[in-house]
Order: sequence, then structure tokens, then C-alpha cells
Amino acid sequence: MARDTDRLDPPMPRVERSWLPLLPERGKISAFEIALLALCVALIAAELPQSLRDVMLLTYLWGGLALAWNIAGGYAGLISFGHAAFFGIGAYTSTILGVNYEITPWIGIWVGAAISGVFGALLTLICARLRGPFFILSTLAASEVVRIGALNWATLTGGPEGLAIRPVPSVLNMVFASKTTYAILMLGYLVAIYLITKVIERSRYGFYLGAIRDDEDAASSAGINPLFIRVSAMCLSALLTSVGGSLFAQYFLYLDPTHVISPELSFQFALLPALGGLGTAIGPVLGAFAITPLSELLRSYLGDAAAGLHLAIYGAVVIVVMLYFPGGMAAALERLRPRRRAEPA
Amino acid sequence: MLTTTGQLIVSGVLIGSIYALMSVGLTLIFGVLRIVNFAHGEFLMMAMYGAWLGTRYLGLNAYTAAIAVVPAMFLFGTIVHRLIISPSLDKPHLVVVFATMGLSILMQNVALMIMSADLWDVPPMLGGRSFTFGPFYAKPELLIGFAVSLMVTFILRWIIKTTYLGKAIRATVQDGEAAMLMGIPVPRIFLITFASGSALVGLAACTMMPLFSVFPTVGLNFVLIAFVIVVLGGMGSIEGALLGGICIGIAQSLSSYFIAPAYGQMFFFSLFLLVLIFRPSGLLGQKGTANLGINP
Repeated sequence: MARDTDRLDPPMPRVERSWLPLLPERGKISAFEIALLALCVALIAAELPQSLRDVMLLTYLWGGLALAWNIAGGYAGLISFGHAAFFGIGAYTSTILGVNYEITPWIGIWVGAAISGVFGALLTLICARLRGPFFILSTLAASEVVRIGALNWATLTGGPEGLAIRPVPSVLNMVFASKTTYAILMLGYLVAIYLITKVIERSRYGFYLGAIRDDEDAASSAGINPLFIRVSAMCLSALLTSVGGSLFAQYFLYLDPTHVISPELSFQFALLPALGGLGTAIGPVLGAFAITPLSELLRSYLGDAAAGLHLAIYGAVVIVVMLYFPGGMAAALERLRPRRRAEPA
Repeated sequence: MLTTTGQLIVSGVLIGSIYALMSVGLTLIFGVLRIVNFAHGEFLMMAMYGAWLGTRYLGLNAYTAAIAVVPAMFLFGTIVHRLIISPSLDKPHLVVVFATMGLSILMQNVALMIMSADLWDVPPMLGGRSFTFGPFYAKPELLIGFAVSLMVTFILRWIIKTTYLGKAIRATVQDGEAAMLMGIPVPRIFLITFASGSALVGLAACTMMPLFSVFPTVGLNFVLIAFVIVVLGGMGSIEGALLGGICIGIAQSLSSYFIAPAYGQMFFFSLFLLVLIFRPSGLLGQKGTANLGINP
């Protein structure tokens, strides 16, 4: 039973090149994206209540993380259920360097990113032969090894009790008193990865990623080195996820292995882009912007009265979207595009 | 020392055979449909709740509850296949990955809503006595699990090797299109396989219920072990699952005694990675399974 390899992202319609397209397009900044960014900035400036500010900055962080996952999972087709390992390595590295060695997180973040990048590259390198479910399972196993390691290497990671960052606000410690500063930081993270994604989309490298995802044999016979592309895509994705992990640690000021390296976290990294639209820049952002506030608000409003209800709905939504709208929210957005097929002959 | 080691190996073999029973449904489904059911652990969780409800409210014990649980899981498998698996078979591979992932989240949280996060278990049968043979002893529940596991492996092997259904399944695995042209109802083979895989999880749940507690996220712990066993044994190989399960059982029981329980877990995930890297086709699997035209 040959499984067809049709792409999940919607085919790009032919529209004439305009300077500022209305809707998101590959490799271009559109009016839609600028409006969305303006909305994000306005939300930071607005006097929201504290609880909503929490939701807002978590949404930005998750947007960035979903985009980071999407570089490997969406563009290169390297579906990983182990990104929590990179997230955890980032969170732990910057925290351990800060707490034990008094190295500022501004440097620690990049040390963590380097470790995660190397780890991601190595993992992809040694799993180079694996495809499909085998690759997915190997990433899942790798992140479990990291989690159990963190749980047991108590002298370094504090084991199950976790690590706490002293809540002394200062720029050097990357601990801030105001949530606005954190929100700017998280939005900055999101925008940076968004721009990286856009640059990839424009570049030759971006097309290489799609080529090895869609047909590796054809791509390699056209002179692309699949191994290099796969390894570098995972490396970049791991590195960026790790930065998000460090930011998370700096915001929550506490981390333990069950929360920052859990399989559930890995699944979440994968599900947000899948719901939003894999292999598009706007998709993961839409996924994170729709799902994160919804689940956070449902969790706080429903509370214990209906433990699990929001996740049960979430699970059902995932099934329906994957089966009937596999392009996700980005494909829905694409439908809004006016059809301009009839060109004057 | 020697007796201790022997005892550890005996316990490892017994518990490993139960892990194998839990994984055989997964490997059967993978072997025929070439999909990984990420909700497998939640199927197990649901069946364990079924067995628990049977002992609590119907006056059955965990084993007799199988009479109700196994057909119920077969039916549940049929429904899941109709609604989720079958529509995603002709779509890119990641659709079924994410859809079963969504199903796993859904089932876990429905269980949380209905049954709460409490741990439930069944009272020990036979007064919790142990069965001794020579210098070794074993819980009777483990011995029953071992016997069921061996029986299931041999019956499944017999079905696949000799019956018409088994031949049809093998033909479908080898070349789905050719099988269809020969008049084999391939979609129905898929349905039967998926439902049987689910029924086997139901049987595994009934043998596990006297040994483990059930709670909404119990599946996650076991499904990771099941993945390890299925890959170790060779994805799609029934005997491989038994062998893989026993290996994991022995490895777990030895390493948790001689090293530390926590590192035991780390040991078998590392083992899993090593097998994936150096022999992705597993102990008894077909060569090249890992590259079988599965597009991510």
C-alpha cells in the first residue's frame, strides 16, 4: 500500500509579486504578520491583569518553541517527540551555570544552546538510517534518557527536588520584577525565530529542506546531501528550543525534571505546529496563539471542577484537525486568499 | 549469590513475558498496517479500568473479567479503526502519528474526568501466597501471566502460519495491491488486525491488573517499555516480541538489583537507542524494516 507523499502545506498559488502581500506567503513578510505583531505589542502595552499577562507571555514563548520545532519537524520532516530534552538542557544549563558558578544567564543561554545543538546533531547523525516511526521513537527514547539522567544526577541537577533561581531582580541575573520585561523578552524570542524561519524559506537551504522531506532519493540525486541537511536542521531546531528552555527557567525561577523534560512537553511542541500548519511560518504561531490561551484560561476557569476536560477537548480537536484539515490553520488562512486565476490574456 | 541471580532471572523472565503480552498487539498492528499506535498505552489503561470495574462491581476476578474486557476491546478497536485509523491510512504518515497522539490525550483525560487521578488495584488473589519450586519462588499471578503470554504467542503464530486468515494477512503485508487483486479484502484485514491488536491489549490488561495499579497516565509508563520491546524484537515479529520482552524483563530485574532501579530504566532506553542505531530491524525482524518506504 504505497502511501502518497503529498505535502501537508498548501500549494502556493500563483499571485503576482507585490511588495507587501496581504496574507502570509513563503519567504515574505505580509500585512497579516505585521498586524499580528502590532497586536502582540499592543497587548504588552495594555494594562492587562496579572493572570492574563502570564497567559500572554507563555503564549509568546510557546509560539517561539513551536516555530523552533517546525524547522525540523515541518520543513525537514524530522518529526521529533524528544524536543523536551533540548528544552530541558537549555533550562538546566543556564540555571546551573547561574546558580553554581555565578555565570550570567545571558552567556549561559548560549552555552546551553551549543550543548543542545551538538546533542541534536549527534542524535540525528547516529539515527541517520532511521525513518518514520523509528526516528520518532528514537527521539522519544533519547529524551527519556536525558530525563532519567537529570532525575538521578542529583549533585548537578538537584534531582527530583529541582533547582531554584534566587528571585533577585537584576538585568545581569536576567531576573526582572516586571512581567512587561519578560513579555518583551518572549516576544523578542518569537520574532527572532520567525525571522530565522522566513530567511530559511527564502534561501536555497529552505528548498533543500523541503526536497529531502518530500523525496529524499530525488533530492540526493539532484546533488543535495541529505545527511548534512537533516543534521543541520535538527541542530538549529534544538539550539533554538534550548534558548526557549532557558527563558522559561528565567521566568519560572524553578525547574525540575518532571516538568521541563517530560514526554508530554515534547508532544506539545509537536502538536502546536501540527494544528497550526506544518512547514509554514505562520502555522506554528497560529497554533500557539489559539491553543495556549485557550488551554491556560480553561484550566484556570474550570479548575478542579472538570480536571482534564480542556485536554480531552484538545485531544479531540487534534484528531479532527489531523484527519479532516491536515493543513491546519495556515491552510484555512490560505483559503481566504482571493482567487486571481483569470489573468487577462 | 548464585541463588539471588537465579531468582532475579526467574522474576525477570516472568515479568518480561507479561511485558511481551502487552506489546504483542502493538507489534501485530505495526507488522500489518505499518503504523505505530501512539495510543497503545491508553488502550491498556482503558482495559485495566475495565478489568478493575469487573472485579469491583460484577464480582469477577481480574482473569474472568477477560471474558468481558477482551471482546469489548475488540469492539473498541473496530470503532477506532473505522473513525481514525482507516481514514488516515492513505494520508502522509504523520497524520496517523498525530491522530493517535490526539486519541491518547483524549483517552487519558476522559479517564481522569471519570475515574479521577486515584490509584486503584484489585485485592490479591490466593491470599498473596507465593509459589515455590526448588530454591526459587514466584507470585502465582506472574506464572499465570507467563503461561498466557506463551499461549498467545503460539496461538498467534499458528494462526498466521496456517490459517486462511493468516495467509491473507501475510499476503497483505508482502504486497497489499497484489493481495487486493487476488481477492483478499485488504481493508477488512486491516480492520481485523487492528481490532485483534486491541483485544490482545485487553487480555494483557487483565493479566496485569493483579500486579499493577491503574491510574489515568499508567499507559505512558508501559507504552515506552512496549516500544522498546517491539523495536528490540523486530517490529512486526510476534516471537520477537516475546524474546524482546523477556530480555527487557531480565535486564530490568538484574540492573535494578545490582545497580539502582532508576538507572535500570536509563539502561534499557540506552539499549533501545543502541538497537535502533545498530540493528533497527531488531533481533528477529526483517532486514530493512526501518527504511520500508515509510514517509514521515
